[in-house]
Amino acid sequence: MKSDSLIRIALGAYLLIFFSYLLGPLLVMSLTAFNSASFPSVSPWACFTYEWFDVLLRDKHIRDGIYYSVIIGIGTVTLSVSMGLAASIVLTQVWPRLRSTYYTLIIAPILIPGVVLGISTLVFWDRVGAFLGVSDETALYGLFHNGLFLTILGQSTFIASYAMLVFVARLQRFDTGLTEAALDLGATHTQAFRKILLPFMRPAIASAAVLAFLASFENYNTTTFTIIDYKTLTTVLAQKVRLGINPSISSLAFIVIVLTVFAALVFEATHHNRKRKDAIAQGKVTPVKKGILPPFMHGNAAAFGLVALACVVIVMIGTAGKHDPQVCKADVREARMLETERRIKVLNETRALREQSEPAESTPNKPALAPSGAFGGVFAPTNLTEDDAEPETETPKGGSGAFDNVFAPTNLDTED
Amino acid sequence: MKSKFFLSEFFKNNGAVMGSLLIGLVGFWLIFLIILPQLSMLDYSFRFNLPPAEQGGPKDVYTLSNYEHLIYGSDITHQTYNSVDLMVFVRTIIAAMLVTIFNIFLCYPLAYFLGQSKGSGFVRLLVVLLIIPYWINEILRAFALRIIFGDSGLLNETLMFLHLTEAPIDFIRKDIALYAGLGYAYILLMLFPMYNVIESLDRNQIEAARDMGASWMRIHRRIVIPHAKPGIVSGATMVFMLSAGALAAPQILGGPSSLWFTQLVYQWFNDSLNWQQGAAYAIVLLVSTIVIVLTVMRFFKVNMGDIGK
Repeated sequence: MKSDSLIRIALGAYLLIFFSYLLGPLLVMSLTAFNSASFPSVSPWACFTYEWFDVLLRDKHIRDGIYYSVIIGIGTVTLSVSMGLAASIVLTQVWPRLRSTYYTLIIAPILIPGVVLGISTLVFWDRVGAFLGVSDETALYGLFHNGLFLTILGQSTFIASYAMLVFVARLQRFDTGLTEAALDLGATHTQAFRKILLPFMRPAIASAAVLAFLASFENYNTTTFTIIDYKTLTTVLAQKVRLGINPSISSLAFIVIVLTVFAALVFEATHHNRKRKDAIAQGKVTPVKKGILPPFMHGNAAAFGLVALACVVIVMIGTAGKHDPQVCKADVREARMLETERRIKVLNETRALREQSEPAESTPNKPALAPSGAFGGVFAPTNLTEDDAEPETETPKGGSGAFDNVFAPTNLDTED
Repeated sequence: MKSKFFLSEFFKNNGAVMGSLLIGLVGFWLIFLIILPQLSMLDYSFRFNLPPAEQGGPKDVYTLSNYEHLIYGSDITHQTYNSVDLMVFVRTIIAAMLVTIFNIFLCYPLAYFLGQSKGSGFVRLLVVLLIIPYWINEILRAFALRIIFGDSGLLNETLMFLHLTEAPIDFIRKDIALYAGLGYAYILLMLFPMYNVIESLDRNQIEAARDMGASWMRIHRRIVIPHAKPGIVSGATMVFMLSAGALAAPQILGGPSSLWFTQLVYQWFNDSLNWQQGAAYAIVLLVSTIVIVLTVMRFFKVNMGDIGK
């Protein structure tokens, strides 16, 4: 029994560590979107503000990036879903001894590093242009060196493999007898495909399309080589993050996170609802008639979460216009100035005290003598950095150094 | 002869229109997107970086100089080694392996827990929580870690508040941020394949073993891990290839003095505009990672067909 509870505690701790590793950074990043400090941080919290969302919305590069990302996403979805579907159908019919080679070939792009895919696409189409002898001004040359064209091809190379995997899973459950029956009844092959196989594959096509779009939207490694003159959201972001950080990126991240959570909750809630309706239809569960809640929310935690999230977002948007951080910002600036002044004063006092006590060498260590060292350093974490620059406070003679550690709150922690 | 037979069979099964459409799409993908680009990159890596006027001229011959540059640097006499680039290469491969191993150990318990406890609301919640970071942009995830590991980041502030350290620790220069970021970036690609195979394990097997008195360790070693092997290898392959080929995380989280091999490739392409040299480095990366993956797969007796399940 004892070891059982021990395992439970270990499991709980492990889950906590795992999920804080996974979600903690995202949470911290979301918080920095609301801090008015111009560097994304949470710990010296200045003021609650929405201004970074404003900065984000006014950023032309990001808007352009989103626009091209969507165009590339649509192109990639079209190309990779059709190639993936074709490849999965061919896989079911390919000559058995060829199958494993074929499968290895079409699965390989998943394993090839994105950097390599980008480079090979770039080099290959450059070569095709040279091979066809197209000169600099022709439309064909423009096409082979067009960032959008190359990015769609480069991304589709491996995204089609993802799509193919989705289709293969669905195709395994397809009854080929249906197609054969349609053909026997006089349908053409195209009709049989359109009326039988395509409707069967529709859910898989939808999920493959979503998957492909998201994969395309967030791709960086391949895109950064093939994009050339254009920019996508990810390349803009990468450039911004590398050159200089500002919390408007955090606000973008916050929007993305909220949208993702929203989508996940919608999926969960509808999934749950469908299951509940099925159960009611089969007579396993009796529908609840009474209650203050609308029926779709019964026992549906995801729906609760969805409604709560929607309320929070509405409140945030509603208050965004009215909330004015100017007063708070002025306060923060004033507080910072006061803090600086106080520190300078404290420094001067310590110096004066030391000069006084220097002649009388056997001065007993009294806390009263060191008003600054004992507490001043503890509560202002940034002071610590200045300690290096001020070795005097650490000298054995000084009354402050000795008490510094005694009253430091961490001492209690370490003694535990 | 036989492939011709296959093709005629294929067209009989699918009709002329559908058959050629299918073959056309698959052919375009295989030939123009997968095979020929890789071959042309290979060809490119054996050529000199010539100005456009001299391309196709007498100087445009095959050469090994791009590969020699990785080993010997610009030293033509081959006396000294290109220790900078070689070190970067070795460090990239070893670090990618360590990240993979770290992910295996971190994910296995969770995959086992999720795979074996079926259907409860709590597990469902955990899965949803797992999926959310999966869809957040790679750049944004690296950015999130940068906020935490920065000089005045949350971690340093916390450490200093607790008096564990006096001055901020430079996590970025020490590459701690990079390794944490790489481990973070692809952890879910390790978790989901593992979870899928462990979920398909019949619980009765574990219970039978337990009834027979097998210890906890033994159950995992003899039943769960052998069953989960394809998933573990599949996840490890993905994480290793993606970490070794990562570009965003090293660019954002890497220290200024230490590089990742993909960054060298990037520099050859975008800063030096020497595509041939960049292609050679990319080929080295591709071939060495694939050789490592195939060796590991052979060692653990896992097929290519298990990847991606």
